[in-house]
Amino acid sequence: MEEGVYVPEVDPYGITRRELVTVAGKSGLITMIAGAVGLNVGMVKVATAEPESPRVQPFTFAIISDSHLYSIPDHKFDGILADSVDKVMNTRPLPEFVVYCGDIAQNGRQDQLEKGRKILGKLSMPIHFIPGEHDWYLDLGIAWRGMFGSQHWSFDHKGVHFIGLTSILVRDFWTPAHMSPVERMSAMEMLESPIAGPWGIREEGLEFLRKDVKPLRGDQPVVIFTHGPLWDYYPRWNFQTEDAPEVRQILSKFQHVMSFHGHVHQTIFNKIGNMSSVGSLGTAWPWPYPNVKLAYPQSRMNRVDPANKEDGLGVQHIDLDRGFKGIWHGDPFSDDLLQPEVRSGWKV
Amino acid sequence: MKMTELFRRIAAPAAVVALVSVGIFATRPLSARAPFTPAQLADQEKKLLEVVNHGRDLWHGSRKDMSTNGLACGNCHPDAAASNPQTFPKYQNDMGQVVALRDMINWCITGPLAGKEIDPDGTDMIAMEAYATYLYRGTTITPGLATAQTAPIVAIKSGTGYPRKASGIGYDK
Repeated sequence: MEEGVYVPEVDPYGITRRELVTVAGKSGLITMIAGAVGLNVGMVKVATAEPESPRVQPFTFAIISDSHLYSIPDHKFDGILADSVDKVMNTRPLPEFVVYCGDIAQNGRQDQLEKGRKILGKLSMPIHFIPGEHDWYLDLGIAWRGMFGSQHWSFDHKGVHFIGLTSILVRDFWTPAHMSPVERMSAMEMLESPIAGPWGIREEGLEFLRKDVKPLRGDQPVVIFTHGPLWDYYPRWNFQTEDAPEVRQILSKFQHVMSFHGHVHQTIFNKIGNMSSVGSLGTAWPWPYPNVKLAYPQSRMNRVDPANKEDGLGVQHIDLDRGFKGIWHGDPFSDDLLQPEVRSGWKV
Repeated sequence: MKMTELFRRIAAPAAVVALVSVGIFATRPLSARAPFTPAQLADQEKKLLEVVNHGRDLWHGSRKDMSTNGLACGNCHPDAAASNPQTFPKYQNDMGQVVALRDMINWCITGPLAGKEIDPDGTDMIAMEAYATYLYRGTTITPGLATAQTAPIVAIKSGTGYPRKASGIGYDK
């Protein structure tokens, strides 16, 4: 099995409801189309008619993130994740792989990770996992690694280089304070916890990245996945990665880099240098926007209606052309009349 | 002059004055009007922050009957973000009436948290309101703002958004 890849067996897990939070990413597109159904068909036609992109072949992949599963049986978040899986399996053409951007579990418990693996087991395509802080800090990643493999990985798919890094590593605050694993996990669970401090990828991950991209050419399309954004969005809530500047420097030799991340549970976009960054919605709950000015306020979704459990959940579509410039299309609202500029797509 | 006479004429009235003074001083903390001494103001702030701190604990799941699904207020409202205490009372579409913040808090407890509502006049509810309101201190009061999401004023790198004794663990110093 390829390192860091979990290929699930088909599991007829019962699915009863429909909600979805995924980001569908594409490469190989020339023409930008915004529309949930027509996209995939259009992609195939356009890409096959495009003789100037011999290296990148068209394909679709999906992202699911931040399910925050609890140990409680039949929890409402179980159903939302199951519905996301269902949605991916009903997408045509079928996404060729799925990336899970972290936080399967809420409290890092093995039974929560197992529950996630079982639900995601209905996906017939390979899944690549990176951890979130909620997966990690009960046992410092032992259960997660045992189930989902290496914490840093890369692979090539149809001309695109994909990288996944563990980005939630904090400095040891628990040993001096003699904290139990549960206390450590609790300190990490709270978004605004004053204890944990900023997280990052740290030297091992950075060294993996340096070695991984060293042989690659500058015109190689690169997609990178981390749990938190690779830019300083709102460090107080760890909407950041402390060593993101080093990551961006390592990847600076590439013409275009696409960064996808979880953790923020909201639509958010940024572009720094050659790197475009897109945040994923979570299947659990939406976070409010922090009190900072957004670089691209068009990507801000409306405040979610708490009375509507389906509000704030939906599908984001990212269409990338062969130069990795594209259109971001979000449809996260039950009432999609609210943000036409998002609904109709805008250039990234 | 005998000492007893001296006491009657000088010491006793002085003692009365002193007692009256003590009495006035003792009742000063109960006074609701300025001027307050710095010590009195500090005491008021201390008592408020104790309640705010209790509210923060409740906000993050310290009272178990407020939730049956593991969620707490902080799941959706970190730093009380998007709780918008400055917009209440306001008309809530789904409730069909003008409601106070405490009504919305109980709505969230019984809805998304699937818990048991708390006494709207109880100390825990006051603490919940105190926490959210304290983090929005200085924000313009705009009743009836139905849909806008606002954020609390805390924009600091660490801490809790209000003065308190830090735990000393990690970055909480």
